[in-house]
Amino acid sequence: MYDELVSVVRNRVDEYLFQVSRVREVMIKLANGEASTTQSWDDYAVSVYLAKGKRIVESSYTTRSPVEALRKTLELLDRLEESPLYAELPEPNGDEIDMVDRRIKDAVVTGDTAWLIEELELDSIPTAAGMIRLQYVDRILAGSNGAEYRQEYTLFNGYIRVFKGDASGQWSWTSTVYDRRKAVEAIGIAKSLAEECEKLPRADLEPGKYRVLLSPMTAANLLTHAAMAASAGAIILGFSFLQNWGLGAKIGSDHITIREIPRDSTLPNFSGFDDEGVATRDKEIFEKGVFKTVLHNTKTAKMMGDVTTGNAGWILPRLFNIEVLPGSLSEDEMLEVLGDGVYVTNNWYTRFQNYLEGSFSTVTRDATFIIKSGRPVACADRLRIADTLPNLLKSIVDLTKTRYDIQWWEVEDPVRIPYVLVDRLGIVKR
Amino acid sequence: MIDESILLEIIDKARQAGAYYAEARYHSLKGFSTTLLNGRVIGGGRADTTGVSVRVYIDGGQGFASTYRLDREGLEDALQRAVSAARTSASLRRRPLKLAPARVGRARYSVFEKKPLESMSEDDKISMLKEVINSLELEVKGMKIESNILSYGEYREEKVIVNSDGGLIISSVPRIEVFYNLAGKYGALRANRWKELGGSGGLEVLDDLRIGENLRDDIESLYVNLVKASNYTGEKRADVILSPEIVGLSVHESAGHPSEADRVLGREAAQAGLSYRTEMKPGERIGSEAVTIIDDPTIPGSLGFYLYDDEGVPARPRVLIEGGVLKELLHNRETAGIYGVESNASARSLDYRSEPIVRMANTYMAPGDYDFDELVADVRDGVYMRKYMEWNIDDRRWVARYVGLEAYIIRGGELAEPVKNVVLEINTRDYYSSIDAVGKDLVFEAGTCGKGEPGQPLPVWMGGPHVRLRGVVLRGV
Repeated sequence: MYDELVSVVRNRVDEYLFQVSRVREVMIKLANGEASTTQSWDDYAVSVYLAKGKRIVESSYTTRSPVEALRKTLELLDRLEESPLYAELPEPNGDEIDMVDRRIKDAVVTGDTAWLIEELELDSIPTAAGMIRLQYVDRILAGSNGAEYRQEYTLFNGYIRVFKGDASGQWSWTSTVYDRRKAVEAIGIAKSLAEECEKLPRADLEPGKYRVLLSPMTAANLLTHAAMAASAGAIILGFSFLQNWGLGAKIGSDHITIREIPRDSTLPNFSGFDDEGVATRDKEIFEKGVFKTVLHNTKTAKMMGDVTTGNAGWILPRLFNIEVLPGSLSEDEMLEVLGDGVYVTNNWYTRFQNYLEGSFSTVTRDATFIIKSGRPVACADRLRIADTLPNLLKSIVDLTKTRYDIQWWEVEDPVRIPYVLVDRLGIVKR
Repeated sequence: MIDESILLEIIDKARQAGAYYAEARYHSLKGFSTTLLNGRVIGGGRADTTGVSVRVYIDGGQGFASTYRLDREGLEDALQRAVSAARTSASLRRRPLKLAPARVGRARYSVFEKKPLESMSEDDKISMLKEVINSLELEVKGMKIESNILSYGEYREEKVIVNSDGGLIISSVPRIEVFYNLAGKYGALRANRWKELGGSGGLEVLDDLRIGENLRDDIESLYVNLVKASNYTGEKRADVILSPEIVGLSVHESAGHPSEADRVLGREAAQAGLSYRTEMKPGERIGSEAVTIIDDPTIPGSLGFYLYDDEGVPARPRVLIEGGVLKELLHNRETAGIYGVESNASARSLDYRSEPIVRMANTYMAPGDYDFDELVADVRDGVYMRKYMEWNIDDRRWVARYVGLEAYIIRGGELAEPVKNVVLEINTRDYYSSIDAVGKDLVFEAGTCGKGEPGQPLPVWMGGPHVRLRGVVLRGV
């Protein structure tokens, strides 16, 4: 396949890269404690990067015979103009890291997932909604800069929302191997959040600034937005509050360190090479509150006078996995340290009023506890957090030592993250 | 396109495997896109997403499988996986799934392109986009547009859908979608404005999109926000006039989504969430008599256009709220089967990898009788919100928030000074109940609707006229 593709473009372009991926995947979706559907995918994706005279095209096809489509892409290349982002492809220096769980690979190829229902006792919670996903990917990157890499990996990911009366709890997990303990733990947390909230009285909260404990689910959603703002793509395109801050600026509190960890093969987006063939590296985006790294590919690095950080995307940079470093508190101690405040277990629909200022709001869903003297005393209906990312980062006062691997509908890329305590966070009633 | 006979063979084999319903869908999306950063092309590309999905119902469970392979062997493998998936589903069902009977179509349709997408070269399209950007004044009295991006995409969606009830639909719908973002700066103040434009059809759609006009208007809005407007402060009850842009978004979020029957039944509870309509029945009043909201896939030129849904059911307008009273839900055949009604053709899927689920198409508030000036003239103390910069809504679709990008005080029946950071947070019943007058204008906006797992971002239109709300709470950020 690769040779066939190269024969089409050789001597007709200055540079080329191909990514060929075979993806096998299965997913069981749950609603009301039943399987609403079970899905099975077999995909073959070919992505192409071509450059000629500093003109750039990036195309993708799902066919196994993309030669004709590739010819049309070549024609397009001649019709474009020099890209202000163009930079020569770098020397590849990546390495191959694989992580394949044979049980996952076999399941997605045969489509046999019935064992998941039994092992995870999915029939035990009559109100559960959610999904469980298994994936196997075999990916090849090769091109004119000498890049020639292959990666095989598997994924086991899911989330469950459990209802109890008018209360609900939701939690997720993600892993590169089948890890029953993680899944069962997440299901158990979702269940206990719903049960605990259901037992408590309901209470309203007046708008104001509150001491707020963010669960790993919520913190992952909000702090991913902070990490994504460090992408040079977000900065160049006008979607980042970090445009207002230079590297080295102290934006967050001493407690917050956000790292990008592409080389950690226990989280599903890991890779030893980026899309240009450059070695990925683990790095601090914010270290003890200080803005440390703008994420680059060679193109954005050239534009901004920097060097690639091993985060290529072909046109714009991308993130792999994120982690937030833990604190020292146990989860019980965290509630005591919270004292009086609010414990938000989940949120959704985060939207930015102003990307350039980082002002956002988001809506809580599932159990939201009102805490007095370190104990939950009531459960609040849906609230809206409205604040800015700089203020959120600045107001982080503590974290737990326990962390969770989160990936779900509102957290697309995996995040390893503890509970995060924020001192003064804006809450509006709805 | 694929020969439908090979799909029909798969349907026959699915029946032999025990399926009481089977469907096979060839689904192809082929297109071209390019993005300009500050008027310069940063790159372009072509995409070809083509494959087949097979969906079967066996023993009360649903199974779905897709494949990139278009040969018999590939389709049979997909069928085998779909059958296995359906049996897995069936093992975790207390209540077997059934589909409502439907008079499915046997038809072929395509959207007529006055100017076919291919009738203009890519370089001419890029030149057209550059001319638009070059025509803009990127500095207005000290307010600078620091950066701008403009993305253009065109694609043709072709489908061949066959099912075990005799349905056979062959369709071709071309679409054009444009996205832009403007990052404005005035002194230390910054704000951005992004917008989607789009429609179905050939290149003649570009005339309707008025890309340059929209960009110029949004630059002016950023100027008003950053330079002229003062902060809205405090909290008080006021009359509010909302523009079609905000009305369109609000009916999509607070009438369309909660009317999706699968959401009402809890099928999307862990993802896109719940619906207040689970506790409310058709016939219940939720708004004033001025409020009628319709979802209509058959609007010519619309982004959400189709004549048959992905289960082969003929499309028609769906009245979600009529005169302030809740009416029908959006159904596919599965949810219609549970409710004991007919499907109203709401099954849509993003691509061959996606299961057809209940979706909106083009959701809008029906226009009324008022001119804009008449709406304003009867407001003594209020605010006109013309554009929003942020919105969200809780997962039951009950309490929404809209923050104005461009807004004006109304004083004594006339528009007065601009204000910014004005927030409308309101529950759905109060919102629709407070509307006392509806404009005669009707404007549609393009949007991308999110739902499903894996996510299926689908093109839609959202529309409405200007409306007047009486006595709602506004406050500053």
